Amino acid sequence: MVSNKASLARPEAVAAGARAGRELSRGWLAVLMNTPSLVMMALVLAYPIYYAGYLSFHKVGIGQLRTGEFPFAGFDNYLRLFDDQLFTLALTNTFIFTAITVTAEVVLAVAIALLINQQGIWTSRVTRVLILLPYAIPPIANGLIWSFMYSFQFGFLNRILFSLGIISEPINWAGNPDTALYAVTVPYIWRTLPFAILLVHAALQGIDKALYEAAAVDGATAWQRFRHITLPLLRPIIVVILVLRTSFAFAVFEEILAITQGGPGDATWVAAWYSYKTSFAPPFNIGVGSASAYVLALIVGLFAIVYVRFLYRRIT
Amino acid sequence: MLKPSPIARIFLHLANVATIAFFLLPLFAVVIGAIQSEKSLQADTRAVFPPEYTLDNFLVILSGGEQKGAIFEQVTYLPDNIKQFYRAFLNSTVVALSVTALTLAFGSMSAYTVARLRFRWLIVFMQANVVARFVPIIVLMIPLYVTFRFGGLLNSLTGVIVALTGFLLPYAILILAPYFDSIPRDLEDAARIDGCTRFTAFLRITLPLSTPGLAACGVIMFIISWHELLIPLILNSKTEFMTLPVVIASLVGDVHVFFNLMMAICLLALLPSVILVLMLQKFVVQGLSAGAIKG
Repeated sequence: MVSNKASLARPEAVAAGARAGRELSRGWLAVLMNTPSLVMMALVLAYPIYYAGYLSFHKVGIGQLRTGEFPFAGFDNYLRLFDDQLFTLALTNTFIFTAITVTAEVVLAVAIALLINQQGIWTSRVTRVLILLPYAIPPIANGLIWSFMYSFQFGFLNRILFSLGIISEPINWAGNPDTALYAVTVPYIWRTLPFAILLVHAALQGIDKALYEAAAVDGATAWQRFRHITLPLLRPIIVVILVLRTSFAFAVFEEILAITQGGPGDATWVAAWYSYKTSFAPPFNIGVGSASAYVLALIVGLFAIVYVRFLYRRIT
Repeated sequence: MLKPSPIARIFLHLANVATIAFFLLPLFAVVIGAIQSEKSLQADTRAVFPPEYTLDNFLVILSGGEQKGAIFEQVTYLPDNIKQFYRAFLNSTVVALSVTALTLAFGSMSAYTVARLRFRWLIVFMQANVVARFVPIIVLMIPLYVTFRFGGLLNSLTGVIVALTGFLLPYAILILAPYFDSIPRDLEDAARIDGCTRFTAFLRITLPLSTPGLAACGVIMFIISWHELLIPLILNSKTEFMTLPVVIASLVGDVHVFFNLMMAICLLALLPSVILVLMLQKFVVQGLSAGAIKG
């Protein structure tokens, strides 16, 4: 309403008054220009989110899909979910996976952003050209490449370590239940790091160089300059990265599919893999699958609310 | 500026070398894996470089399995989906281009109204877009599968395009809205005094001025669509509608694992998006930071 009054003062409003007869009002224009987006988003985002909730409270399996009738099941799907040790394991694994990848990404992103920010070092320019590369790799291809890297028999990583004389026996990186979950974090970090580096690098450009010069005059060491100038000024962007990357890491799927398919045993079952396998592989229990996806959505939803309320700068 | 000491310089160079090695390692693996035969892979499992190089993996993929080349002469089994390369490449291109065009068209109209018209419901709409960015695809896929099954949209490129467009629209709006907001209104005002309506001023003045923003958004939309696996994987089961990521995923857990063939098809699938990103690096950087921090 405030913006309406403000626009009255502008010449465009006067001109708009003159053409009022043949031009749509601002309100109708806004509605019409948003109609395609709203229709698409209602169909693909809003309705499915509602419908996933609906499915999670109904019995939906192969038989029900054929008849098209989904009997009401109350909280049955959720009860079965929390009875299922595999689901608890998948959630635990997701938390571990997320904690490792997000922590590593923030640390690496700050370190590499500082590195490519060095002006007089020619190798930093090479690194700067390369940081976007992982963003261009399809996640499923990335997963497959790393399954070749990790392969016990023919793996590329073992070959390199043999050639460097670091190992004498092959290591079963992704095939060992004790290390598999950690093994799948590396490809994920590799692929999603560019985004975090870019954001930190952009934030570094905004720091006033005079601050560092003043600190150097005062005799601050490089570590003190980082600790007391750079890090506090990077804090807002680090929080943004933490929230965004945490919620995306919760839904990791492609690398799991390509490298371990949840295995060995069930060592790398994560939340999205659980929803996928429960719904689209035997026993095709879409009701329970929806319930598990909804739990995932609720967790991620909490992060989304924090992000919108406190971090995202609106147009004002 | 502060000059690093000689020791610090050596340390910085080493850190750069380590970073570069980390970024290039998987690409090195995919290239070396793609240009050798299975026999070479098995000959010495401790050597980085194969005893001999060959392009036969690409030959068998690009000829649709017609020409096997020397290294596959003895091989009786080849994964069927390898033969679908051209079809999948075409499907991926159609999907990625359609989604890019649709998200740019619909997204720019929405982003323009958010940046210029400022109704309260548009602010709420913008917040909804931010929340929508967080929705994991798997949450949407189960209900979409059931809905599309009853709507007859399974096994079609249309279904995939519709689903991806709706899923990506919030992101496109988040990238474009700050861009439109940064364009001065004066030119639009001038055009309106000359008789343009608000909508024609948007089409003739604002959109042409926003080419860099549209490029930034477009390249990101194209890359995400080119990469997307879950949507086509769940909605389409027939080979003729497979996209490249689905073909690649179908090789996982196949009866026989040909790492050399897998690496060759991965290399062919990642080349278009790598070339695009390297060519349009500036726009990718702009779009990624615009979509994350401003709006």
